[in-house]
Amino acid sequence: MPARRKSRPIFFAVFVSAVCVRAADLRGIWMADKNVDASLERAHVIVDPPDGKIPYKSEAIAKQKQNFENHATADPETRCFQPGVPRAAYVPSPFQIFQNDRAVYMVYQDVHAYRIVYLDRAEHNEGLGYAMGDSRGHWEGDTLVADVTSFSDATWLDAAGDYHSDELHVIERYTRTGPDTMTYEATIEDPKVFSRPWTIRLPLRLQRGVQIVEDECEEGPNARRHHVPLFRRAP
Amino acid sequence: MRFSIFLISFVALAQSAKFEPPRQADGHPDLQGVWRNASIVAAFNVEGQEAFYNEPGGKSVIVDPPDGKLPYLPAALKQANENHVHRELDPTGHCHTHGVPRLLVPPFPIEIVEDSNDVVLLFETEHSLRIIPLDGSPHPKLYRSWNGDSRGHWEGDTLVVDVAGFNGRTWLDQAGNIVDRNEHVVERFTMTARDTIAYEARVDDPTIYAKPWTMRIPLRRQPAGTELIEYDCIEGERSEIHYAGPPKK
Repeated sequence: MPARRKSRPIFFAVFVSAVCVRAADLRGIWMADKNVDASLERAHVIVDPPDGKIPYKSEAIAKQKQNFENHATADPETRCFQPGVPRAAYVPSPFQIFQNDRAVYMVYQDVHAYRIVYLDRAEHNEGLGYAMGDSRGHWEGDTLVADVTSFSDATWLDAAGDYHSDELHVIERYTRTGPDTMTYEATIEDPKVFSRPWTIRLPLRLQRGVQIVEDECEEGPNARRHHVPLFRRAP
Repeated sequence: MRFSIFLISFVALAQSAKFEPPRQADGHPDLQGVWRNASIVAAFNVEGQEAFYNEPGGKSVIVDPPDGKLPYLPAALKQANENHVHRELDPTGHCHTHGVPRLLVPPFPIEIVEDSNDVVLLFETEHSLRIIPLDGSPHPKLYRSWNGDSRGHWEGDTLVVDVAGFNGRTWLDQAGNIVDRNEHVVERFTMTARDTIAYEARVDDPTIYAKPWTMRIPLRRQPAGTELIEYDCIEGERSEIHYAGPPKK
């Protein structure tokens, strides 16, 4: 029963974090630098492998090239799909983190997507085909570690056509590094598309004096997707 | 003497009947959990309806005016009747978020997240969400949206939310009842038992209604461990065309 064996260390981590670790406060409105979403490779956020390239399997490269050529219309973001994971963390749009004992809540401005990272249960719901995946989290010291599975293949990893299959598995790490900064790290694994797991790391910045506003797609043949800009709060 | 004993026991009874809600560290009621509307008829028609085909029947959820009817102005009533004939135009059928108070009525769960700064409502339906700041800040000027802008405060143990800045494109239910851009809602969330929140919405819209009206529904706590699941609407192949149209050559 490989699935069961796999969940044991997660159970242990949940137990340890419940007993020993006080949660760090990640609350606030966060946003990545604007250029990351355009291309993970060109933004130099891939820290592993050391060459900074996405380790595509040879048979998976053709689809990436095709996506890149058609990105203006083929990018699921342009069709108002939920952004997926890890992309939701670095689309050019803010997200707000809320927390309680039960979960950490990632509330994205982008197409009003959200994720609930449950802290109180380790077992994933398998095979759901979620755009945003099924998230289970635990604390390792001051780092929130989220294990995300059960994806659909309907989302991309960036606007350059980098993609994944429904076998995507992401491990995210959120570590607050200062009053206004957080490091976001994601290890991306997908045996159908990549020859090995790979990792991105990038800074998120706290956005002060703004609020998350509604980002609702407009319909019709002339609809054009655009990200709702940062919305300043009334002074 | 006999009267005062009666009075004392009455007061004691009334006090024991008063529900003491679970509380946050700041003393305000803790509304957190997963909830769902228990008056499902409101999703179909806030004025109530007879059961037919695959829709449930039930009484109007409108408590004011007492007749349970929406106090439409004549032109608005005509529009609502027209909508009823063309229910394929319901914006939620085109993957749009529901507006307020309609977001509270579908038979899908709602998670409430709360701290001293904000109350967040996460709706399973259309993965909609509302962030309700509690800091006393005003509505932003020139802001229009499907769900409006929400600002909350506590009145005793009741969470009161003022919602304005609507785009006027939402319906109130599947029957085609309407509001427009002048809609203004005051909501009241009161936990009346461990597993019940009394939800009340007073809707004022002077270009649609002759006077403000009030609806009331019970939100029931869902069993422990209930998770909101992902609601994909736009991602569905058939709806996609409403949004982007066919790819242009």
